[in-house]
Amino acid sequence: MSAASQDAGTVTPFRRFLVSDHLSGWAFILPAVILIVVFGILPIVWGLILSFQKAGLISPDREWVGFDNYARIASDPKARQAAINTITYTALFVPISILAALFVAHALNRKIAFIRFYRLAVFIPVVTSTIATGIMFLWLFDKHFGLANWLLGKAGLGPFGFFEDPNQAMLALVVMTVWGWLGFDTIIYLAALQGVPQQLLEAASIDGASRWTSFWRITWPMLGPATLLLVVWSTISALQLFDEVFFVTKGGPVGRTSVVVFYVYKLAFEQGLGSLSLAGYAAAIAYVLFLVILVLTLAQFWLGRRVIHYAS
Amino acid sequence: MKGRLLVVMAMFGLLMPACSGGGDEGCTEDPANGQFCLTFWHGYTDYEKDWLNTALDEWNAENPKIHIDPLYVNNDSALQKLTVALQGGEPPDITYQYGSSLAEVADAPGLVDLSDWVNQPNVNWDDFIPGARSAATFEGKVLGVPALVDNLAIVYNKTLFDDAGLDYPSPDWTWDDLRAAAKALTDPAAKQFGFAYPMDASEDSVWHWDPLLWQNGGSILNEDNTQAAFNSPEGVEALQVFTGMAVEDQSVFLDIQNSAYTNVFNSGRIAMLETGPWDLPSFPDVDYGVEILPGFDGDHQTIAGPDMWCVFDNGNGREQAALKFLQWLTSAEQIKKEALATGHLPIRLSVAEHRAFLKNFADAWPGVDVFAENLTNVEQARPVLAAYPSVSTAMGNAIVSAMLGETDAKSALDQAAAEANDALAAGG
Amino acid sequence: MVERPRRRFLPFDPWHLFLIPLSAVMLLPLVWMVVTSLETEAQTLHFPPILWPGTPQFVNYLDVIRESAFGSWFWNTTVVTVLVVASNLVLCTLAAYAFARIRFLGRGFIYFVLLATLMVPLQVVLIPTFLIVKQLGLLDHLGALVVPNLVNVFGIFMLTQFFRTLPIELEEAARIDGASRLSILLRIVVPLSLPALATLAVIQFLWTWNDFLWPLVTILTNQGAFTLQLGLSTFQGAHNTQWHLVAAANIMSMVPLIVLFLLAQRYFVRGIATQGLKG
Repeated sequence: MSAASQDAGTVTPFRRFLVSDHLSGWAFILPAVILIVVFGILPIVWGLILSFQKAGLISPDREWVGFDNYARIASDPKARQAAINTITYTALFVPISILAALFVAHALNRKIAFIRFYRLAVFIPVVTSTIATGIMFLWLFDKHFGLANWLLGKAGLGPFGFFEDPNQAMLALVVMTVWGWLGFDTIIYLAALQGVPQQLLEAASIDGASRWTSFWRITWPMLGPATLLLVVWSTISALQLFDEVFFVTKGGPVGRTSVVVFYVYKLAFEQGLGSLSLAGYAAAIAYVLFLVILVLTLAQFWLGRRVIHYAS
Repeated sequence: MKGRLLVVMAMFGLLMPACSGGGDEGCTEDPANGQFCLTFWHGYTDYEKDWLNTALDEWNAENPKIHIDPLYVNNDSALQKLTVALQGGEPPDITYQYGSSLAEVADAPGLVDLSDWVNQPNVNWDDFIPGARSAATFEGKVLGVPALVDNLAIVYNKTLFDDAGLDYPSPDWTWDDLRAAAKALTDPAAKQFGFAYPMDASEDSVWHWDPLLWQNGGSILNEDNTQAAFNSPEGVEALQVFTGMAVEDQSVFLDIQNSAYTNVFNSGRIAMLETGPWDLPSFPDVDYGVEILPGFDGDHQTIAGPDMWCVFDNGNGREQAALKFLQWLTSAEQIKKEALATGHLPIRLSVAEHRAFLKNFADAWPGVDVFAENLTNVEQARPVLAAYPSVSTAMGNAIVSAMLGETDAKSALDQAAAEANDALAAGG
Repeated sequence: MVERPRRRFLPFDPWHLFLIPLSAVMLLPLVWMVVTSLETEAQTLHFPPILWPGTPQFVNYLDVIRESAFGSWFWNTTVVTVLVVASNLVLCTLAAYAFARIRFLGRGFIYFVLLATLMVPLQVVLIPTFLIVKQLGLLDHLGALVVPNLVNVFGIFMLTQFFRTLPIELEEAARIDGASRLSILLRIVVPLSLPALATLAVIQFLWTWNDFLWPLVTILTNQGAFTLQLGLSTFQGAHNTQWHLVAAANIMSMVPLIVLFLLAQRYFVRGIATQGLKG
């Protein structure tokens, strides 16, 4: 595949490096790029075109409306509510889930009895389907019959509405999703922790460093890339939250957990079929979200570049 | 690692029994010789599926030229799946759809207009329940074949009534009676509720309220479907029945999931439910009774939720074959079998009014006869419009908001009317 | 190995005090599902749920297999998932190595364009992707479930980050010795990246195994191509759901994921002895 590097003869070592680099780089990424262009980029372009049209998903009619769909977003209170909900959710979810995962990964990165069982236990929620998780949490957080209120009642705390209370539903959603994703973030951190050389930590401890100092000075910097991965990924997926809202809260109560992608889905697949033709408008909203995610991700990478020291 | 993985997979292969497949002998399509293999999307599970399989076996055996190939699609996903399939030009031949989806699928390419077909004598169109016929009609065109019809009535827990020394609901009871009974049957300490209501702001939250609106003389939209009319004084009054119960009396189990109420009722913690015949099999542990809805001023009208089969024209005469099958499936003889096997209400008047059948029906499915007779109380239908889902969402949010005590009934309905009017102006 | 002497207040490691309650909280849904899977249908119709069914109905598991095409769903899902995971491991590794280590024309731009595909929600691209799959003639077959997922950008992203953490000296030394990029990748980088690769394998396996929406819209007539998630939905009617069977079926479909995780654990958590191998 990377045959170019076998080139012997007249080319100087420095030049040989360059040409073979471009060729081998492209050779390595080509299969992936082709697949992603076909199944990733083309659909995105299609969706973008749709956002400039008034279109419904059942009838084949299409009508060009330029930037009208985009302009409409500004005056749509439901879109504004969806945006606020999504931002609130993301601002809560990302830091909480990452810090929790870091702590749990640290706890699981040791050889004590039953450690394999603990690791499996932490991972189980990730493996459980969203629907099953949703049903469980709906019971857990039920105002009258749920386990949570029963336990809180024992501690003298009044019954909470959780998913039923417009002011608590978002928090309950955060708890449910942090719980569901913890295992995922944890195994990524666990894998990253394997790259921290044990000798370094031992040497530091011999030199008298406290466990906190070793963590902060040695382990944490080496977790930089993993942390960046998780921050970027968690942000991208939090801003696109859908399944839990669709299967569990249904955007409620009274729209307090309606997030952007859920609103997009309702517009495109429920309200916007037939002659209302809101699929184009829904696409426009999705592409505004896309821009937000893109900008945020770029910012995160830029920040990461300044802060993270890669092993080279 | 690779070796080990292979071993593990081999083990799974051994543990797995031989494919106990869907039992479908391959069907090869040959339209030139009249051999069809039709795709049939349905959402039947459990005993409903047992009935369907028996019916399909019967049909496929007697009609080898028109072979029906069933595919299970959960009813809630049916519209989305159809939407995607249509975009790809691959609609099924027959699909089950909620009646509320009719306006959405109306301009789908390939959807068959059945207006002429229904005039054929062997279809006997007028024998279908009126509510089912109107739900399958959009802008004067018949676009679906009735598949299911039901209605709402009150299911109550006789034991709870007995324990409280209350009389059972009677056919001429009023909403005030129901409210009083609910209040008397609510016991916070024992976590017992007099009534329950779906609070997910979906169409369920709306259609459970529509009968009260209609009984009180109100209507959802105005005559020409251009403006919302549900926020009239009659509407506000009708909503205040439920808000009074939920907020003041606190006698309502507010079901955010819209699925917990069946189990809570079955556990003996709810006294009365407003629901349809499909829930009856979920109450094995309750000695229940069924009564028609309470009324305003003697008006006890109820609401029906008809579903239908939609047919798509995939060329080569498949459409005629599909219709031939549907006509058989919805014939009186098959309807009787279906009703007895599944507890579904008969969609034909000739069957619904047949005394002997009703007796067998009630024996097989206790309480269902009240629902069957209640079909005569179905007078109005919800508007069949493309903008209806938006209207429904606005109404649903209003009802939930008012019942949670977040807003009062009038403001909630006014707000919803404004949103609905926007949607109505934009659509159509 | 020098160990700082530590005063022990407890006869066991204090971390257990954190890990046990954590595990209990994490395992709650599994426990609930197991209990439900052993109940009779009538027992499932209670709220709050009955927490101990009395006589466990192991027969539910047999019923799921007998009364449905569970075996076929399982087989389909396994084939699709294994193919997708294998393909991702190969293609993502190749691409990530290039992005992490090779300077080539357009590298940064392409990387970003690829990442951007993660930023558009599935609901928006659902239909166009469906149209493309249809054009390729894959609809209604397992191919529709495999081909669009042969590369997952998340895998490229994750592996690129991991490869960057590896010390570059080993690779540079090998290049000076004239080794090709590919052999460096296979003989040096991959063995050092087993934790990341195992993690990717588990994650991709999990996502493919549990995918519901995509199989839902691409399997149009061929019930024989149903995957486990589609099959599970046949127990969930719009009005009545057979929870005892759903729970049993869910448990059975989770088993391979659990087994895989246990097998892969040894790779994402390597022993102390193999840490930080140099040269």
